[in-house]
Amino acid sequence: MAFLNVEKINFAYPKSGLTVLDGISFSANELEFVSIIGPSGCGKSTLLRIMAGLIKADSGSVVLAGKKINGPSSSISFVFQDFALLPWLSNLENVKIGLASKPMTEDEREKTALDMLYKLELKGFEDAYPNLLSGGMKQRVGLARALVSNPILLLMDEPFSSLDELTANSLRKTVVEVLKDKKTLPKAIIMVSHNIEEAVEMSDKIVVLSNKPAVVKKILDVKIKRPRDRGSREFRKKVNEIYSIFAE
Amino acid sequence: MLQLIFSVILDTMYSWTRMLIALLISMVIALFTGIAVARSKKLNRVLMPVVDILQTLPILAFFPFAIYIFVFYLPGSIGVNAAVIFLIVTSMLWNIIFGVYQAIISLPSEYFDMARIYKLNLYQRLRKIFIPAALPRMSEQMSLSWAIGLFYLVTSEIFSVGTKNYAVKHGIGVEFVKAAATGNSYLYIYSIIVFVLFVIATRLLLFERFDRFANRYYLKDYKKRKRDRFTFNYFRSRGIKLDEETRHKLAITARIVFYALLTLLVGFTIYNAIPFVNLHLLSKLVGYEGYSLLSLLFSFLRVWGAFIAIIAISIPLSIKVVFLSNKTKRYLLLFQIFASIPATILLPAIAELVYGNSELLAFIIYFLSGLWYVIFSIVATTKYLPESIDEVKRIFHLNGIVAWKKIYLKAIMPGVITGAVTGIAAEWNASIVAEYFSAGSGKLITSVSIGVGKALNVALANNNLLLMGVLLANMVAMIIIINYFVWRRLYNRVNSVYS
Repeated sequence: MAFLNVEKINFAYPKSGLTVLDGISFSANELEFVSIIGPSGCGKSTLLRIMAGLIKADSGSVVLAGKKINGPSSSISFVFQDFALLPWLSNLENVKIGLASKPMTEDEREKTALDMLYKLELKGFEDAYPNLLSGGMKQRVGLARALVSNPILLLMDEPFSSLDELTANSLRKTVVEVLKDKKTLPKAIIMVSHNIEEAVEMSDKIVVLSNKPAVVKKILDVKIKRPRDRGSREFRKKVNEIYSIFAE
Repeated sequence: MLQLIFSVILDTMYSWTRMLIALLISMVIALFTGIAVARSKKLNRVLMPVVDILQTLPILAFFPFAIYIFVFYLPGSIGVNAAVIFLIVTSMLWNIIFGVYQAIISLPSEYFDMARIYKLNLYQRLRKIFIPAALPRMSEQMSLSWAIGLFYLVTSEIFSVGTKNYAVKHGIGVEFVKAAATGNSYLYIYSIIVFVLFVIATRLLLFERFDRFANRYYLKDYKKRKRDRFTFNYFRSRGIKLDEETRHKLAITARIVFYALLTLLVGFTIYNAIPFVNLHLLSKLVGYEGYSLLSLLFSFLRVWGAFIAIIAISIPLSIKVVFLSNKTKRYLLLFQIFASIPATILLPAIAELVYGNSELLAFIIYFLSGLWYVIFSIVATTKYLPESIDEVKRIFHLNGIVAWKKIYLKAIMPGVITGAVTGIAAEWNASIVAEYFSAGSGKLITSVSIGVGKALNVALANNNLLLMGVLLANMVAMIIIINYFVWRRLYNRVNSVYS
């Protein structure tokens, strides 16, 4: 049994009764980075929220390390598309939110949060407030908050799509860099994205969803050696393969 | 009994006529002022600070003054009615102006480019662009204005009946006073029921429809709306532009020069006026000033005492309703109905309950007058919170005290501050009936020993315009000073972080 098993998830909007997710199944192994891609509005974010325990699926199950997910768990963390930082707390305080439920002293919390901020290159911005930061830096705070509690599963909901391409690119590099660090590495990462190149660049496995209702169209492995070069033939081939899946 | 109900309905229709006339006047003035202010930088610089100050003043306290002036120039009941309508307009106008202003300001510039390219003239621009664009926000603000206006209407009617010479003849306020004077509790209860039914009917028949009509013009591409709050918006937007540091410095210098000149001018005038002022008047003025300050001090203690009670209740209540309940909508509807009942109409009933304890009565009226402003202001703030906050709360397991400390209490701060400004203004508005009220023909319902509201009543009864002027000047000065040194500072500090 894989580290994370998503098993036949069905979900319909409670109000309209419209089916959004239709029997979604896939799995992720330890140390795997999995991307879920699909057209916008297909229900990717809903699927991710079901995995986080924020939304209840109509049927099906999510099993993480042998345990069924029934609600938000302290071993799962989440990065939001719109950052979702609390504007009235300093960046350091925001990161400490990630440790709020841990049995630690206030000093330990502060030190752990500071370490994580430094790792994400936010030294000097500890006491600033989120709204004074650029989008890229806000998302660094968001990542720090998600990683600071050492989650075993990290869920990311289009973490780079609110950013311009240059900022997104440098942040992707930082994420790859930070995730190399074995000490803070979550055992699995699931990222929702609508950017095919981004998915190919970062993932070991890509789950391709179709639209209305979403079913799993295909699951592809990406075995390109890292660091990946977007211009390489191998890379282009993978990207084209995914485009052709959507064109079908 | 039928006759009784009929007379209540008739009187309510009188009141509603005043309200509708006032609303119409407010809409027209607000539409053109709002558009003009949004399109002309010069007008903006002159008018916006004035509007900003006016909307935080308790204009209802000016009612005795307005009534005196209007009746002086217009004969009998026309004068009183004009005074009432004028007062209601001053309560409705400001936030509609801000609504229109915000709508036009947030219009994407492509619309203006388009108007220029197709050479639309002023009339066409108004018809095709400005007015439709302003409608949705205007409609939003109108129902708020209506609620504020009702408070002014009823309070001014009740107040006018309490005076000997300036009573309106018909109006729902008249029925309340009549009921109070004769101890007719049936009349009182019918009046409240009819009043609430009218409120609900107006909402359903008028505002809901107008809202649906206006929202057809809602533009999806209004520039991203930040938290829309009216109080202090103007000063905030001017204060934060960091890139215009030199302009800012210039503005400060200009302000200092202006105040220096003003001080000189005032000093000069006083110096020259001294020989002409007779000593009698001067000593009278000094006496009035002393009396005013003392009255103000007592009223201040009542108003702020009630405000502390409001804060103690509204904060946990709002947090409970907004964040911790899944019946938020139902609660808000209930609140809206309660809030639509002006606290001042409850005065006779509360007077019975407290056995004529005037201090307690004043406290309760102040409390009820300000409460809803704070609650609705807090609720309005939370509308603009990021939607993901609830998910953050659940993902990171923020519960109990941590959630209160890190989320709820902090999230509502801007709302508490704007609510405080409007809520305290509403309390002062209520002062003219909360501290002193006679139900006509000498039947005194309540009278505190000393306070601004009482002093205004006494001054009007004695036609003492000078005392009225001194009282109002002191009150206005105090409110502006507190707004400037307390609330605006707090607001700017909070807002620089929040938005």
